[in-house]
Amino acid sequence: MSGGRVKMFPDHKHHDPHAHAVHKPGRRLMHHVPLHFVHKRVAGGGGRSVNAALNLVAFIDFLIVTVIFLLMSFSASGEITVDKNITLPKADNVQDVIEAPMVAVNGNQVLVDGTPAGSTRAIEDLGRMQKVDELFDLLKRKRELWRSFHPNKPFPGVCVLQVDENVSSLVVKSVFQTAAYAGYPNVSFMVRKRGKAAAN
Amino acid sequence: MGGVDVGPSNGKRQMNMEINMIPFIDLLMVTIMFLLITAVWVNFSRMNANAQIPGPPDPTKEIDPQTPEKVLNVHVTDSEFKLVWKQGATVVSETTAERPKQGGDLLYDDLAKKIADEWKQQSSHQDKSDKKQDQAILHVDNRLPFKEVIAVLDAIYDCKREMLVENEVKPFPVFNMSFSVR
Repeated sequence: MSGGRVKMFPDHKHHDPHAHAVHKPGRRLMHHVPLHFVHKRVAGGGGRSVNAALNLVAFIDFLIVTVIFLLMSFSASGEITVDKNITLPKADNVQDVIEAPMVAVNGNQVLVDGTPAGSTRAIEDLGRMQKVDELFDLLKRKRELWRSFHPNKPFPGVCVLQVDENVSSLVVKSVFQTAAYAGYPNVSFMVRKRGKAAAN
Repeated sequence: MGGVDVGPSNGKRQMNMEINMIPFIDLLMVTIMFLLITAVWVNFSRMNANAQIPGPPDPTKEIDPQTPEKVLNVHVTDSEFKLVWKQGATVVSETTAERPKQGGDLLYDDLAKKIADEWKQQSSHQDKSDKKQDQAILHVDNRLPFKEVIAVLDAIYDCKREMLVENEVKPFPVFNMSFSVR
């Protein structure tokens, strides 16, 4: 402190134990341990690391389980379109859907693969079973087309009916009989598969 | 990242390995996205029926008269189900099952049990090697909603038996259904 000067960073070579020096702020505890390897262990410093290690094991497990579940429920057959005006009934004892002409029957009309082929109302108004001529013609044309493409194969005669759950049996029987007349005696009804849990 | 630690290397070449997990996680993510996009969440199925229309007769073959088989006729009335086994025009047996009044999902469990009991007593196609199905004919009122028809059909197809197909025993419905038409 001689000469009124304050030395900010005192020279350790000329250490004066009585001098009231101002030192650079920082960690002090254990910093004067002379053994280097002990000093390194106990002095600390350096602050907390900004990098954090994430445990990926649980994350990968979750991803693998999701992949397995999705692979098991994967269907390569593609989505089957159902008329938006049709609510299909539910059933337990069912089979997989096959590729065949789709006859949709809703409250107003009959469609074959999306093409109008008759009126449901007309059948109900008549009050008795009848052959639906437009449906018959369309299905017959489809059968002939199939035969021209597969001349050496026997015709399977399968069609699938998508019928709304509230349509009357009269309409169903009329469409069923028309399909049989047109050469499709093996008729399948499309349904929604009911889970066993829901059934109980 | 994922590592393989095989213990200290004793000063020799480093034996511990670091596996880069990022491509693996990326692959899993892409697979999940593909499967989610292509997933079909609504399961549609089908139920078989047959119009029982015989094909044209073969002129080269002699017509062989056959005794008619027993056929199960299922009549749906307002209060009950009537199960009638007929052989040609002859009634072999007749029984009834209660038709419960239900709302929402229709399930006729009692009818299914009754049909199974009847089949065990009356059917002549019970052997595994016999590939022929029994015939069931459904008699329903013209006003009956289609969901009721399907519920009855579901009860008929609930009865199954084992059948030998291509050297493999599989469960098959015992009946093939057709509509009665007047």
